[in-house]
Amino acid sequence: MNSVPRRRSRRLLVLAVAIAVLLAVNVAVPRKKAPPYVGVRVLKDLAELATVEYNVTKIVSHQDVAWYGDRKILFETAATVKAGIDMNEIHERDILLQGEAAVTVTLPRPRILLFNMKPEHMKEIFNESGILRSDFNNQEKDALLSQGEKDIRAKVAAMDILERAARQARVLTESWLKKSGFETVHVVFRGEGGQK
Amino acid sequence: MKKILSLLQLAALLAILLLLYGPLAKIGLLPPLPSLFHSGPPQIEDTPVIVQQVKNIAQMFTQTFYDEIVYDTGVMRTPLFQANKRLIFIAKGEVIAGFDLSELSEKSVIRRERSIVVKLPPARVLDVVINPSGFETFIEEGEITFEETKKFHEDARRIFERNARQKGILRNSAAQGRAMFEKFFRLLGFETVDIIIPASR
Repeated sequence: MNSVPRRRSRRLLVLAVAIAVLLAVNVAVPRKKAPPYVGVRVLKDLAELATVEYNVTKIVSHQDVAWYGDRKILFETAATVKAGIDMNEIHERDILLQGEAAVTVTLPRPRILLFNMKPEHMKEIFNESGILRSDFNNQEKDALLSQGEKDIRAKVAAMDILERAARQARVLTESWLKKSGFETVHVVFRGEGGQK
Repeated sequence: MKKILSLLQLAALLAILLLLYGPLAKIGLLPPLPSLFHSGPPQIEDTPVIVQQVKNIAQMFTQTFYDEIVYDTGVMRTPLFQANKRLIFIAKGEVIAGFDLSELSEKSVIRRERSIVVKLPPARVLDVVINPSGFETFIEEGEITFEETKKFHEDARRIFERNARQKGILRNSAAQGRAMFEKFFRLLGFETVDIIIPASR
């Protein structure tokens, strides 16, 4: 008469044992992660003249809205961007001497040389997660800040930084060459009447 | 009683399924469980980039040192009943050295016909760059705050600078600066070029 409930109880016991075994397996199996690869340390020669520096700020915000709760985070970030010219691109044909006291120099087009987002200039302003949500971990924060970095790079590149860098490169070159004894200095940029 | 037993059996089967999923996700055969509830990588909102300052500079970058380190905080003991913390991350970036040419004055350049003497300032470390995209969290245990992480990131930058100095970045920077200026002034027609660079500290 009591055989059916007894059978069910036995089945439950078997299931409980199975759960216990699987729990043990879950704890025992380590999370698979590739070992970190550390690259080679390299020293490399440069010849870049940075002529302008932009200091910019950006609010990086993210809202993770879900039916089981929200997560919101807000950072204040800052970056330094330096632009200028690569002196390695100046060749013999880019310098035209006209006698002892006059020279025409063709400079390469300026470009962004350095982008730096220092950790000390970043602040976490707001960070809140719903009861059923996990907090933002480091990996997620890194990913959000990387997106912020990408956005700053794109937006700064669209500003007038390269025009300013070119203007200042011209001023500096003229000033240094005049200090070196040239009376007439003419500076042009590649593609604007100088060498191609 | 019968109903309760059936429900218990169902719950147990569900638990078994979840527990079977766990190890398979851990070894990478299945995606992690939380990722099933996410629609994709988190996206930031579109906010403006504000220019705070624009400065004219005259910095000559003559040497760069690419570095990559694994930073391990070690186990950080926390008060009783709180999980210990540990953070291991990989940092990739560069150290830039060169000259601040805004320090050049009228007296720094002496010309005599086809000879020139240029006195440069000492080579120095101009920038240490590890951007957010250069940090990769490898292991994160316990609750590590943003301020704590920032301190470790700043420490990684100090390690980068120390490694670069040990590798001789300043010596190489001075040598490259000398070679570059010599080449430039020779292109300008000078026959004798003397570049004086004081030793870096």
